[in-house]
Amino acid sequence: MNYIDTLLSLVLLSILFSFGSSRLPVLIRVIGFQGVVVSGLPLFIGNDHSLGGMAFSLITILIRGLVIPLCIYLIIRRVAIRREVAPIFGHHASMLAWLGLIAAAAFIGNKFTLPVATQNVLLMPTAIALVSGGLFLLMGHRNAIAMVLGYIMMENGIYLVGTTFSSRTHHIVEFGILLDVLAGVMIMAIILQNIKQTFDDVDTDLLQTLKE
Amino acid sequence: MVELIALIPFITGPMAFFLPRSAGRLLLILTGAVHLLLSLLLWTYRPLPMLSAYFALTDVGLLSLLVISLLFFLISFYTRDYLKKSGIHFENVFCGSMLLFLGTMTLVTLADHLMVMWIAIEATTLASAPLIYTHRTAEALEATWKYVLVCSVGIALALLGSVLITIAMDVGRVDVPVSVSALTGEAGNLDPLWLKIGFVFILVGYGTKMGLAPMHTWLPDAHSEAPSPASALLSGVLLNCAYLGIFRTHKIMTAAGLGAFSGRILMVFGLISILAAATFIVKQNEYKRLLAYSSIENMGIIAFGTGIGGLGAYGALICLIHHSLIKSALFLTSGNILLNYGSRLLKDITALVRRMPGTFLAFCGGFAGISGFPPFGLFIGKVMIIMGAFRGGHYVAVGIFMASLSVIFAGFANHTLKIFFMKSAAEPLPRETAGMLLPQYLLLLTSLILCCWMPEGLSQTIRNAASVITPGGF
Amino acid sequence: MLPSMLFFLSAILLAPFFAALILKVKAFFAGKKGPPLLIQYYTLIKLFQKGSVYSTSTTFIFKLGPVLSFCCALSALMFLPVAGRPALFAFRGDVILVLYLLALGRFFTIAAAMDTASPFQGMGAAREAYFPIICEAAMFLILILLYVLTSNLQIKAFFQGGQPLLLWHKAGSPLMFVVIALFIILLTENARVPVDDPATHLELTMIHEVMVLDHSGPDLAFIELGSFCKLFFYAGLVARLVWPFETGVPALDLLLFFLALLAVYVAVGVMESVMARYRMDKVPKFVLTSFALAFFAVIVTLELAK
Repeated sequence: MNYIDTLLSLVLLSILFSFGSSRLPVLIRVIGFQGVVVSGLPLFIGNDHSLGGMAFSLITILIRGLVIPLCIYLIIRRVAIRREVAPIFGHHASMLAWLGLIAAAAFIGNKFTLPVATQNVLLMPTAIALVSGGLFLLMGHRNAIAMVLGYIMMENGIYLVGTTFSSRTHHIVEFGILLDVLAGVMIMAIILQNIKQTFDDVDTDLLQTLKE
Repeated sequence: MVELIALIPFITGPMAFFLPRSAGRLLLILTGAVHLLLSLLLWTYRPLPMLSAYFALTDVGLLSLLVISLLFFLISFYTRDYLKKSGIHFENVFCGSMLLFLGTMTLVTLADHLMVMWIAIEATTLASAPLIYTHRTAEALEATWKYVLVCSVGIALALLGSVLITIAMDVGRVDVPVSVSALTGEAGNLDPLWLKIGFVFILVGYGTKMGLAPMHTWLPDAHSEAPSPASALLSGVLLNCAYLGIFRTHKIMTAAGLGAFSGRILMVFGLISILAAATFIVKQNEYKRLLAYSSIENMGIIAFGTGIGGLGAYGALICLIHHSLIKSALFLTSGNILLNYGSRLLKDITALVRRMPGTFLAFCGGFAGISGFPPFGLFIGKVMIIMGAFRGGHYVAVGIFMASLSVIFAGFANHTLKIFFMKSAAEPLPRETAGMLLPQYLLLLTSLILCCWMPEGLSQTIRNAASVITPGGF
Repeated sequence: MLPSMLFFLSAILLAPFFAALILKVKAFFAGKKGPPLLIQYYTLIKLFQKGSVYSTSTTFIFKLGPVLSFCCALSALMFLPVAGRPALFAFRGDVILVLYLLALGRFFTIAAAMDTASPFQGMGAAREAYFPIICEAAMFLILILLYVLTSNLQIKAFFQGGQPLLLWHKAGSPLMFVVIALFIILLTENARVPVDDPATHLELTMIHEVMVLDHSGPDLAFIELGSFCKLFFYAGLVARLVWPFETGVPALDLLLFFLALLAVYVAVGVMESVMARYRMDKVPKFVLTSFALAFFAVIVTLELAK
């Protein structure tokens, strides 16, 4: 058991928190924590120890761990939305879903032959759990902010897959992806603000006029 | 030179945010003209890009680029008159976003690197979101929210797929750049399992953007709420861009000998989309949503044809071009109707033939074209797909395909004939301006000409493009 | 055998002292002086000197309950390796026996409570039966984990001597979750805040306390002493995991173990001081957390074991 696996198991645990908690600030902190761990990992397990690589990792930590959560947090502050969000699935169902998710992620993660003979057995399960956990969060909430947070969690998971299993992409390309995500979150934040102004809440149940 | 064509809209776009109204409209047309000129030059000379690791000129990319340029140029003319009439409040945001949207779509057509392509496709979502929210209504907001969220999540899955393909490279110990052209050459060495998983994720991801059912939910909302020029761009070229992403991955799959696997999945998604469109078209009550569902249908047809390969792939590419031309003409026409009748509901639109004869002509031509009547290109495309399917022995699939097309045609005809000829006591509306009719006429004319006479260079390019996604060559 | 006997007796004798420590910590947080550290002994002596009062509606089960539950707690304590020394009894599979001894004690408490035919006691009994079910599931998951790590099913193999340290080496981060899960189980099983408030005065909100309301005199003393022993048992387990190191000097080890034990009790006290009791419908969520943690630890351990 090394410290990377410990960190990863904390990330897995943070998914539980995000499922169990109904308070938005908690969710934001969880997302920020995941962002920091996920973007800091390449520093420890990657083979790229160049100055550029380090600088890029630091920028990624800054954006994923600080800028994006802060962006969402500011939106909550700005529009003074209720901090409590009720998930569609109850607490027990979420908890069970989390357990099933972890078990499935561990099961699936072991099915694949991985390119890098990695010491960190928890990498793949964590990545799978983050992606599917993000999707679960996205589907399990009517609150638009929680949905955006689910999307960010999913992105964190994809980033984990990308940076740790393959050293193919150039930093410039990764930076482009990061910028896209950042811009996406910002646009979503703007839309959230408009939704709040128009509908006086960010409940997506209000957004149901367009349908067949 | 290659990069320049993408750079120009990125420069003029931010400019348009700060320019006064009339200048912004002019800038739109100017950029469209320069863009068209440059893409014609690219088509003729085919220079090598400077950043060859990330960009490349491919047959299908050039084809789409040409379509984008032509459409944008014609639409920019329409937009000038449309903006004058409709009185959009934040016009500079609209113009700037249109230009940025053009730039990002150009990037998609040029991209060769898998990740760069992803970046460009995600950027199209972000650039087009303000276009959908132009009217600043609650419905527009809802459509924008759905569009951004559904597409972002979908495209995130495509990113996962792209990453999985790089894992396939690592497992197979393939050491080449992550570009489509390089991967096609080394496809045989890629790990098949990871490649397959990667393809599925990419198909679901970009399929969301392309409007394949059941991930199409955002499409009718976005298309009906966006202003008509933007709808025309969304339907005419944005869907093509997403298709490009799928096409290129399918190309790698074909080169890796997994074309049958990916082809089958494409056919299934195509058929589901056609069926879904058929269900919703028959009972539709808004004409812009009707057109949007027709886009889903056509994307289904294209995916189906691509999956068949050979003649079907050739037909799919023909459909791709003609659908862009005809559907954008239809959306522009719907803009005329909306401006004059002030309603999106089918039941409010009556006696079009008498009240707006010019618009009637465009709508009628577009309707004939989109239904696959002979003088228009979609006819050839569909026939080829059907022939290809018969040759491939997909009898059940082609049966479903033709049955759904008939249902769609019947539904579509039912709605449009009511629009055209239903009796109404209302007076004829004011005369339509030429600027809001000529673009449609030109688009339809292009489709007509391309059906009767296709330049050898063009048909050769389409053949080349179709051959790379056909197992065993064309 | 004799040292084990001595440790067992000292555990019983010390249990009330540690329980009083919690009261002291709570008093400290409230800015009060608090009762003397020997308060529980005084209480027990006072209770033993009194006589018992029995309601006419009760049967012999009511009289049996306190004694039996006390015996169960005592027997469970016989299996606890105090300070990592060999316990009084140890055999293969003794963990299961211990778990069910504790469950048996709970059963008799519940039976005695039901025997009074008071609606409040029935309510408390229902709650008392409900929450430990989840605890038990969590406990068994922890057992699975420990079994995977040691391929043995004895308390000795988990908590005696240098074994805890070995566990930490084998699976550090899962064990971290196990400690938290065990602590939650400790709070639940022993009716502490935030699951239950031992100092509450309203029957509606009680779980454990309401069931012993009708007992008096020596019966109540047995119940109290039994619950002190039970708390000592769980705290002893947690303390062994929190401080797994062995110095080699027996006296020092003993001292350090009791310090760790002290830390666990203080932690309980702090927990009671800073947290409010959960609303009744939130309690299962809290208890379920321990189950989730244990489950998670098992999964991670299985991953690592590959």
